[in-house]
Amino acid sequence: MSDLIDLRHITKTFPPNVTALDDVSVSFQAGEIHAVVGENGAGKSTLMKVLYGLQRADRGEIVLRGQPVRFNAANDAIAAGIGMVHQEILLIPEYTVWQNVVLGAEPRARWGALDTRQARQRVRSKIDAFGLNLDPDALVGDISIAARQKVEILKLLYRNVAVLILDEPTAVLTPLEVPQLFEELRRLRDSGKTILFVSHHLEEVLELSDRVTVLRRGRKVDTVPAASTSKSDLARMMVGRELLFTTRRAARPPGEVVLRINNLSLRDGRQINRLRDVNLEVRAEEIVGIAGVEGNGQFELVNAIIGLIQPDAGAICVNGHDLTRAPILERRRHIAFVAQDRGRMGASVNASIAENAIMTHHRLNEAFSRRRWRLDMRQAAAFAERVRDQFAVAMSRADQPFRALSGGNQQKVILGRELLLDRPFLLLDQPTRGLDVGSTEYVREQMLSQRDARRAILLISSDLEELFSVADRIAVMHRGEIVADTPIERASLEQVGYWMLQGRDGSAGLTGGSTGSPTGGSTGSPTGGSTGSPPRSADAAGAVA
Amino acid sequence: MRIVIGLLNGMLAGATPVLLAALGGAFTFYAGVFNIAMEGMLLVGAFCAALGSFFSGSWMIGVLCAVAGALLLSLLFILFAIALKTDEFVTGIALNLFASGATTYLLRQLFGVRGAFTDAGIQAVPRVEIPLVSQIPLAGEVLSGQNLIVYAAALAALGCAWLIFRTPFGLRLRAAGYNAASLESSGVRPARVRVAALLICGVLCGLGGAFLSLGYVRLFAEGMSAGRGWIALAAVILVNGNPWGVALIALLFGLADGMGLFAQGLGVPAQFTGMLPYIATLIALFVYARRKRRARLGQSV
Amino acid sequence: MAQKLFSALAGIGIALGMGAVILVIEGRQPFEVYGALAALSLGDADKLAITLKNAVPLILTGLSASLAFASGPVNLGQPGQFLMGALAATLVGISVDLPAPLMVPLLIAAALAGGAMWAGVAALLRHAFNMSEFIVTLMLNSVAELFTAWLITIDGPLAEAGALSPRSPAIASGGRLGDIGEFNISIVVMALAALAIWYVFHRTRAGYEWRIAGQNTLFARLGGCPVDRNFFIVMLLSGALAGLAGGLLVMSGTYRLIRGIGANYAWDGVMIAVVANSALAATVLYGMFFAALQTGALGMELLTAVPSEFIQVLQAVIVLVSVASRGYLSALLDRLALRRLHRHSAIARQ
Repeated sequence: MSDLIDLRHITKTFPPNVTALDDVSVSFQAGEIHAVVGENGAGKSTLMKVLYGLQRADRGEIVLRGQPVRFNAANDAIAAGIGMVHQEILLIPEYTVWQNVVLGAEPRARWGALDTRQARQRVRSKIDAFGLNLDPDALVGDISIAARQKVEILKLLYRNVAVLILDEPTAVLTPLEVPQLFEELRRLRDSGKTILFVSHHLEEVLELSDRVTVLRRGRKVDTVPAASTSKSDLARMMVGRELLFTTRRAARPPGEVVLRINNLSLRDGRQINRLRDVNLEVRAEEIVGIAGVEGNGQFELVNAIIGLIQPDAGAICVNGHDLTRAPILERRRHIAFVAQDRGRMGASVNASIAENAIMTHHRLNEAFSRRRWRLDMRQAAAFAERVRDQFAVAMSRADQPFRALSGGNQQKVILGRELLLDRPFLLLDQPTRGLDVGSTEYVREQMLSQRDARRAILLISSDLEELFSVADRIAVMHRGEIVADTPIERASLEQVGYWMLQGRDGSAGLTGGSTGSPTGGSTGSPTGGSTGSPPRSADAAGAVA
Repeated sequence: MRIVIGLLNGMLAGATPVLLAALGGAFTFYAGVFNIAMEGMLLVGAFCAALGSFFSGSWMIGVLCAVAGALLLSLLFILFAIALKTDEFVTGIALNLFASGATTYLLRQLFGVRGAFTDAGIQAVPRVEIPLVSQIPLAGEVLSGQNLIVYAAALAALGCAWLIFRTPFGLRLRAAGYNAASLESSGVRPARVRVAALLICGVLCGLGGAFLSLGYVRLFAEGMSAGRGWIALAAVILVNGNPWGVALIALLFGLADGMGLFAQGLGVPAQFTGMLPYIATLIALFVYARRKRRARLGQSV
Repeated sequence: MAQKLFSALAGIGIALGMGAVILVIEGRQPFEVYGALAALSLGDADKLAITLKNAVPLILTGLSASLAFASGPVNLGQPGQFLMGALAATLVGISVDLPAPLMVPLLIAAALAGGAMWAGVAALLRHAFNMSEFIVTLMLNSVAELFTAWLITIDGPLAEAGALSPRSPAIASGGRLGDIGEFNISIVVMALAALAIWYVFHRTRAGYEWRIAGQNTLFARLGGCPVDRNFFIVMLLSGALAGLAGGLLVMSGTYRLIRGIGANYAWDGVMIAVVANSALAATVLYGMFFAALQTGALGMELLTAVPSEFIQVLQAVIVLVSVASRGYLSALLDRLALRRLHRHSAIARQ
């Protein structure tokens, strides 16, 4: 088998200073199934996008069948025989299967009309040739997500691609649908196609692929044959062993429960379970970290706590106040919140620094509501300066536009604003995302000092290092459930990695910590669900997409 | 009976400009362009038709000029909204203002009059008598003898329906509106489709404008489009762009036009029948919003 | 801030330049024409007074649009709200006869209420049924136009007996606004309203919430602002401003509801708000600028034989060019900033 595609020394940075890929070289052969794995932010998706032409690499080259190529648009890659199935299915629900497949390459009849008969015929013959089990006349909006994925694949096969790139193909499937997909992929491989797929799911990766490439933080760790690798090997390569343990304080018992979440459940607009029976507690003088691959319910959990969405069932209480259905302003009396997306949720970048600093204070801080309807801009400026002084923000004047600040300083203003609210509970969602090293350190120090000041902190982070250096307890979310909840001393990086990627795996003895009783008695399983069940519980009602 | 024939004739005449503008609007609607410039395109079309017909002595040149004028507006829309990525709404408003101002200004400059320009030299678009049909009693008086553009509009409706639903172009057009990202990933650039839609809209609105000034009258008056572009917009929104639906609504509006005069004879103020299209749009919007709300239940903001 | 001003001025400059080109093509002298425009609108106190009086409806409808756009809701109903304000003022003005110190505030209040109520219909439909206020206000414009037209048709319910053209009876003399020296009192009312709105928008807690919601609704919501309630209030206020414009026109100009009142101001408010990019102070300035253009246009025609309609073309060109250049300019500046960042990061990595 020869090398079909050779990626050489691919480097890609996103401004201002995010290195997505750093000198990555990989080759793919014809007629193989090749998986690319890594954590969030490792660069897997970016690498595939570079190959497909959606992103342009800053350095490096792509060699296809011995010739260097450069793709400028999606069309170029397809013309060269490379097709990509994105994670978010890009189909037109209002059209039928065959319409979606032929869009852009329609067979024509007399006078330029669309030759419907031929289109349907061709599509059907491809379906039969690859055994895809689809009805060409079904409306894409009516078929299951697994079927839609097959339509995406069919689109590419209709255009006779030689290489199929699949981005997280099993993320949208229920466990029952996965084996069928694998069957089809194997058939494609046997017919000579090359399948590249990006995934988190180590077990699937080992089951399906011939070779596996592991990326970590933008660099290639290694390419290994699947047959001679184990899950633990992969996990170790993905997550790495270099941990920078910064500050570790002496163990101190946490105080009373501040945040209590009981049986929280939520379905989204498409009736997919986003949160399933979540139970969680955070105590005073404690930092609870939530680990998990993004998209497993963390965002919904945060939105439910802060009040953007209403849960279908369950309760959220802070210090005894039931906030489950309270308006946002009411919750802000008890919760300080740093949102995950600075620009979209945490600030108004076109407003001034002062205007951003006083949000929420303008209603709930007595200093401002002395004269209830007036807003003294000098007072606002003074407040912003107070934030600057207390939180070491590098800024000139308070009336400068917020977007003039660097990312780190913006985050400091946001953090300062929320901390000065002086609330018993802090909800922090990816607070160090996109920050430079110095700002990251600063934010972590602030978290620790807030904890020492008897606050309860819930920290959501996709950075395991961060969780391990700051959190007292760690909970892992997987497909909308809390699958593990344990004090940090009793958790290992590998174990957490497993939970994040595999969910509950029934390995008793590694769970600990309580959900509900101060005495710490546990039932030996994280959330009272089934133990000893296979890694994927057969929940055909709907998976977390 | 006379009354019914009169009503039907009036209905066709009233419906035609709205139908043409709405068909144009349907294309841009399907393509996902927020186009509110039909009013301006109609006006410019009407002006250029009168201009062309007067100076050349031929109604055919007049119609061509109408199309050219409306296309000019389309090109401006394309330049600002698609190439320069200016907000589509603002572009539409500005183009309507521009059309109104330019036609009024040029009316003064070129013809030296204010308000309206009418002259025997303006050649109107002729009526067409269809040989056998015209002899059918009663129905023949409606089906035959209509202005050429009325027949053109009917053909246009058929043609547009065919184009939108039976050709690859139409497939891509609707795809651009349903999910532009999907179309892009299929290798077709949505911008090109949108440009085509805007050009088609210009042609159709130009034709509609020509009917306004060269159809049953032979003059151009300031503000001649009189809100028909807005009614066309409402029609497109009401039926989500479907050409058949648009034709139906245009006929209803035409009917309302004719009924207005009739009802005035009965004592109902024309202003109230005139409100019907707008109130109907509100009702449609209500239904639309209700449907959207049901789909959004359970999702976050 | 400076960037906004610069791009706005640049837009006007380019538009005036294009206007000059058109004039030259016609064989005229741009400077002479523009000079005449300026002289006729701002030349002396007399003319300035007329210009300012003409600016009243422009500035108020402009503020109505700007306030709404800057706070979130899209209110395009100024024409309809204008008419309803005029109608309310007229109704009260012909039903009641009081001395001026009582009459004037009463009519002003009626005008505010009329406009607010009409905007309130749209606000209610949005609040209760999530119907886009964009379309609703547009539709209500036509409804208002037709309704008021019906009221004053000859022999209609509100028509003046024996009138030869559609119009209502005149309002009582107590409600008519006269002049102070050269300047009409409506200018004072407008100035007070503008100041009040500016103060509320920039110096109160409510205005702060409106501003932030207009820039980033999600952020405002997360911060605890009652966004939906604020939208409603802003719609009412916006409608009130447009209604005030209508009422003032009746009280200081026509003294009655006549056919086509305010028709020429119909879209100018939105136009001014668009050019001013929804900034309140800029709206006032552009309102005066366009008033000067329109006032000077009539006289300009006599002096230079350039038809006054030229102004309408110029206005439209100004709108298009200033908005396009604004977007283009900011895109250009963004690209330059990005290039600078790239350069920095490239240097940093060496």
